[in-house]
Amino acid sequence: MVDTTKNTKLFTTYGVKTSKTVTTEVASKLISKAKRPLFVVGTGVLNPELLDRVVKIAKAKNIPIAATGSSMIGFVDKGVNAKYINLHALGFYLTDPNWPGFDGNGNYDTIILLGHKKYYINQVLSATKNFSDVRAISIDKSYIQNATMSFGNLSKADHIAALDEVIDLL
Amino acid sequence: MSKLTTGSFSIEDLESVQITINNIVGAAKEAVKPTKEAAEVTGPMGPTPFPSIATLRDWSFTLFDRYEPVYTPMCDQCCYCTFGPCNLEGNKRGACGLDMKGQAAREFFLRCLTGCACHSAHGRHLLNHLIDLFGEDMPINMGASNVIAPNIQLVTGLQPKTLGDLKPVMEYVEEEVGQLLATVHAGQEAAAIDYDNKAMLAGVLDHVGMEVSDIAQVTALGFPKSDPEAPLVETGMGTIDASKPVIIAIGHNVAGVTYIMDYMEGNGLTDKMEIGGLCCTAFDMTRYKREDRKAPYAKIVGTISKELKIVRSGIPDVIVLDEQCVRADLVEEGQKLKIPIIASNEKIMYGLPDRTNDDVDAIVEDLVSGKIPGCVMLDLEKLGELVPKVALKMAPIREAEGLSAIPTDEEMKALVSKCAECGECALACPEELEIPAAIAVAKGGDYSALEELHDYCVGCRRCEQVCNKEIPVLSLIEKAAQKAIAEEKGLVRAGRGQVSDPEIRAEGLNLVMGTTPGVIAIIGCSNFPAGTKDVYNIAEEFLNRNYIVAVSGCSAMDIGMYKDADGKTLYERFPGRFERGNIFNTGSCVSNAHISATCHKVAAIFASRNLSGNLAEIADYSLNRIGAVGLAWGAYSQKAAAIGTGCNMYGIPAVLGPHSGKYRRALIAKTYDDSKWKLYDSRNGSEMAIPPSPEFLITTAETWQEACVMLAKNCIRVSDNNMGRSIKLTHWMELSEKYLGVLPEDLYKFVRNEADLPLAKREMLLKMLESEHGWEIDWKKKKIISGPSIKFDVSAQPTNLKRLCKEA
Ligand code: SF4
Ligand code: SF4
Ligand code: SF4
Repeated sequence: MVDTTKNTKLFTTYGVKTSKTVTTEVASKLISKAKRPLFVVGTGVLNPELLDRVVKIAKAKNIPIAATGSSMIGFVDKGVNAKYINLHALGFYLTDPNWPGFDGNGNYDTIILLGHKKYYINQVLSATKNFSDVRAISIDKSYIQNATMSFGNLSKADHIAALDEVIDLL
Repeated sequence: MSKLTTGSFSIEDLESVQITINNIVGAAKEAVKPTKEAAEVTGPMGPTPFPSIATLRDWSFTLFDRYEPVYTPMCDQCCYCTFGPCNLEGNKRGACGLDMKGQAAREFFLRCLTGCACHSAHGRHLLNHLIDLFGEDMPINMGASNVIAPNIQLVTGLQPKTLGDLKPVMEYVEEEVGQLLATVHAGQEAAAIDYDNKAMLAGVLDHVGMEVSDIAQVTALGFPKSDPEAPLVETGMGTIDASKPVIIAIGHNVAGVTYIMDYMEGNGLTDKMEIGGLCCTAFDMTRYKREDRKAPYAKIVGTISKELKIVRSGIPDVIVLDEQCVRADLVEEGQKLKIPIIASNEKIMYGLPDRTNDDVDAIVEDLVSGKIPGCVMLDLEKLGELVPKVALKMAPIREAEGLSAIPTDEEMKALVSKCAECGECALACPEELEIPAAIAVAKGGDYSALEELHDYCVGCRRCEQVCNKEIPVLSLIEKAAQKAIAEEKGLVRAGRGQVSDPEIRAEGLNLVMGTTPGVIAIIGCSNFPAGTKDVYNIAEEFLNRNYIVAVSGCSAMDIGMYKDADGKTLYERFPGRFERGNIFNTGSCVSNAHISATCHKVAAIFASRNLSGNLAEIADYSLNRIGAVGLAWGAYSQKAAAIGTGCNMYGIPAVLGPHSGKYRRALIAKTYDDSKWKLYDSRNGSEMAIPPSPEFLITTAETWQEACVMLAKNCIRVSDNNMGRSIKLTHWMELSEKYLGVLPEDLYKFVRNEADLPLAKREMLLKMLESEHGWEIDWKKKKIISGPSIKFDVSAQPTNLKRLCKEA
């Protein structure tokens, strides 16, 4: 098992509250248990190694994908339920209890994050962290302070191995 | 005072009777009161001349009702006063009672106000200086236009005719900046939304301050005047001939540099030495005395991201600074390479000795001998002589010593081998560059991975400050990129100034009907998420699609750095008019005022709306009818926040790059809430449903590809005719397919009848509307029978303002 919880080093801080680190086990449990999960991915997932794993995770639990940035192009014909949305707008809509979501069934309780620029996702998450109850689980390569729960900083190889563990556990 | 009601008067006369500045402002305000006499002089006056905080609050709130403030705090603490620091996480309130939203809004507002103060103080400095030189009666000359100061007229109601007429405008801005700054104090404003209103006013004042600055310099310094064929300027690090003595000017205020250029010209030095600039001073150097279209000898080196890079190269023999966007470590960095630093503006004095009152040759002596690392020189006449003299003397000394921070081949090897690949630098790098991996590759003698970082690197040296092995990471990157840097040679069209009235007359209809698909204004700084080519890619994409591309400042420079297969830049491939398929560069940062002014001019000249003191009506017009969207892709500065926010108040939406979430406040609409997408038809006050565009006033995008799709979509306006809508939908669909791989999900929301659908795709789209959205189609006639939630009515008069409606 990859230890995804050990390195939480930051260069700068977003303040007092910091996300809890999660193991691959806990992450996959939370993903599985979520009532209304949404897989929010950034353009970084166009990296083929990541894309493949995003598709596997989404399929494993039939999780809809919010394809932010220009990641949507990676999901055409992949057999997943992916829709483009701007990340900043999504961050705002997640704080609105009246947002009907992508399917009209209402807002989401859990978002899973992967493939983002660290500075951008942290900033967008500062809205959900301060102004909503949505639970944000980051399974990215870097420790994301403004998520609710996050992997610590990982090497590329460890990150891929950790994602594979999550896939196995789902 | 009552005699001073014409709006144009001589300040000298007033001084002789010792009237204070406040009184002049008072007189100017009196001058624009909507009285009968005044109307004869200035035309009809709108309802809001010289707005203060409360005046335009209704309009801000109208905008905020649809475009809701979205706060993304930078920090969950507030440490503003001694009650604190307070933990506001989860929207808690601090000891003073302010909540997290209020604090985030205050922080954002302060950014806008700082930006506004910067531009206005710059304007004030230039104006005083130019009035000293040329007198208050110098007539304003902006080229072939009657509407010469659209922002000033729109906001204050004044129509300045001379340099002196700009003084009351400046005084108004200064008064409001003081009032606004006072509200940042703890225990002043409570509501986030009211800080947002204040931010909007600061943004508007910013455009007024910028307009004063550029009007003054365009008028008095011989800049191109609404000239689509302003000369091309060499730009890029590779354009500087390092074999000559080199002067590098950094900042935004060209006043001092004009003296240096005059001295060079007077002493036959223009071909014996190089003068290059960074940031907007560079732009304005190349506009100086170039209304005759002669190719400038001054060169543009680049943006703030190149400041450390040019210093480390060792190329400058002297650096002269003025104000804004100047790095705080230039003295330290310059000193290492014996590059004297001359500060020429009180705003940045760097702790250097003030030698303003000393003899020029004595100062040259002290600088050349290294007795002082630099100095302050506020006498611009002396500055003009001092700087070239220092460059001429330093050049041979520096050349003999071979001064440069770029490592030799041997040093480079030793430095890369020292790296422990600990990853500290990567953690510190604001661009999240994978520095350790690139250095690991370099250990094998292959510098290509390091070289690749050069264009992404913003030259901030955060990496170096955390390296335990004291590796000068930035210098390694620059070493690896030496060849690429030598080839960094581009061309940019010198700033043309305003768009002229005749250009507006010719293009207005196309723009409002949508047959010119939109104006994409690419502005702002160089904090790009993925290198400088982003802005070039976006500009080229929209030029090829016949949009009008407006550019200014650092983005304009970076766009000029790339060439097509024939070696041509976009400025050579596309003409510089305000016309579809053209790229026009207004000029430096302060010339951004001419971009917003273009929208005001369309409303005033094409649609005959009254401009004077009539902000809400003109902004309402732009928001509903002019498909213009700003793009500040690398916005880093507070000035950029102010410019964008001013645009928002004027009804012009803006997309920013991913770094700009750090500004802390966006304005985004709920596209899913139909109650927000309604306007009045001013013919009878009835409500009309409208498509959800623009869907934001200010927001961010992650990649340039995403930004392209957003820009195209958000050029759609309720006023588009069928032809215009179908052109806009075509571009939006094509860009969405090209960059996102799919057709837009919400296309149907923008379709009023079959004629909105592009002919080439009509059948396919009708099928889609039928099957996915249940629309009823008459397949014989290929007509939509029912389905659209918005109606097509080409003579509708959409407005957000009930007061403009007939029945109201
Ligand atoms: S200004 Fe208010 S929130 Fe900020 S530190 Fe002071 S008391 Fe706390
Ligand atoms: S911080 Fe220094 S030692 Fe560590 S990886 Fe970066 S360059 Fe190498
Ligand atoms: S100087 Fe360049 S590489 Fe170093 S931290 Fe700054 S952007 Fe990153």
